[in-house]
Amino acid sequence: MDLKPYANYLRAASAMIAGVGIGLFATVLSLNAGYGFNSLRAGAWTAWPHIGGADIDPYARAVISRSGEAPLGRDQGLAFIARADSNGAPLSADCEYRIIDPLPAARFWTIALASPDGRLLANPTERYGYSSVDVLRNEGGAFEIDVAREARPGNWLSPGESKGFVVMLRLYDTPLDIESAPDPNSFPKIVKLGCA
Amino acid sequence: MRLNIPDRYLDLLPWLFATLLVAGIVHVVSVLLMPTVAPNDALARLASYVKSAAPAEGLVMLPQMAPGAETLPFEDPAFAEAVCVYDLAKGPLRVKTSVDGEDFLGLSFHGNAGRIYHSMTDRSAIKGKIDIVVGDARQIDALTSADEGDAPPPQEVRLTAPTKRGFILIRSLAKRASDQERARGRLSAISCQRFDLPQG
Repeated sequence: MDLKPYANYLRAASAMIAGVGIGLFATVLSLNAGYGFNSLRAGAWTAWPHIGGADIDPYARAVISRSGEAPLGRDQGLAFIARADSNGAPLSADCEYRIIDPLPAARFWTIALASPDGRLLANPTERYGYSSVDVLRNEGGAFEIDVAREARPGNWLSPGESKGFVVMLRLYDTPLDIESAPDPNSFPKIVKLGCA
Repeated sequence: MRLNIPDRYLDLLPWLFATLLVAGIVHVVSVLLMPTVAPNDALARLASYVKSAAPAEGLVMLPQMAPGAETLPFEDPAFAEAVCVYDLAKGPLRVKTSVDGEDFLGLSFHGNAGRIYHSMTDRSAIKGKIDIVVGDARQIDALTSADEGDAPPPQEVRLTAPTKRGFILIRSLAKRASDQERARGRLSAISCQRFDLPQG
């Protein structure tokens, strides 16, 4: 069979198919990369203040409607997520970490573990996070939270049997300025203590 | 120096551009369509929970968060939460409560397709009271024109919702694990009621 007269149709068809494929692939990639533009970074922590307001961008809307989450409103506070420790190495439940203050100013804060897709991590303590009120502090008011599978004295969070986890830092009624880059030194450090 | 590119590659160049153009259009359209076609967004999850919890309207408490029993992902486990899923086609609604100024209470107003059109905490309560009316543009207009006259100005905050369907998520902080009951108690003191527009 001679395909030559149809060559342009074939090319058009393959351009279409390839285009649809590449376009959808780009969509999947961009939706997995975070909540769109305008992120706020401080050390290991990242927040997307614009997802909590009416000026949310289309990428962020696509991401949150796919994941089914209801973000924190802009005027309520800020939710920061850490997927890596302060040295940039991805968090692994096989390793042990220590979260060390300081924290930016806020009326309340909470630090909690979650799975990378935002679920709570089943663990024997049934504790998933600490708040600014119930965290144990030393005499100067400073605190540390250990993240480890094995029990620790003091503030201890367990990732349970999960493989990976993220740390969520939520600041409620915070005066933090979202229009300028925050000072990383005012945010907690996540220090790796060792790996199993 | 002459570029030595075989002609058949140059012939394919327009097709390469066509492919990229199609890819760009598909990408933009799929991102913009996602909020309308995503089957399991926060509104759908909350609406199906509210349906299973029986009450047809009003405020519904969400179950205490536990692994495998989260109604929404990425919620703070230190909170007790309640939701008011609404459809303004049936009429405007009023959210009302009083606050003690001590414990954190957050209200966020979500349209469909992932947009928050208003959010607040107990700090912006007026004289210890939160009194908010949510309506579509026509309902809010009707309320405003009913005001005109000698009556004192309204005490409530009026919000124009961008879409008919949406939800109000109310988060009450339990500062300690043992405060869960108190946090839930504060939620159950909140009313979220549909009301009828004044006639005239």
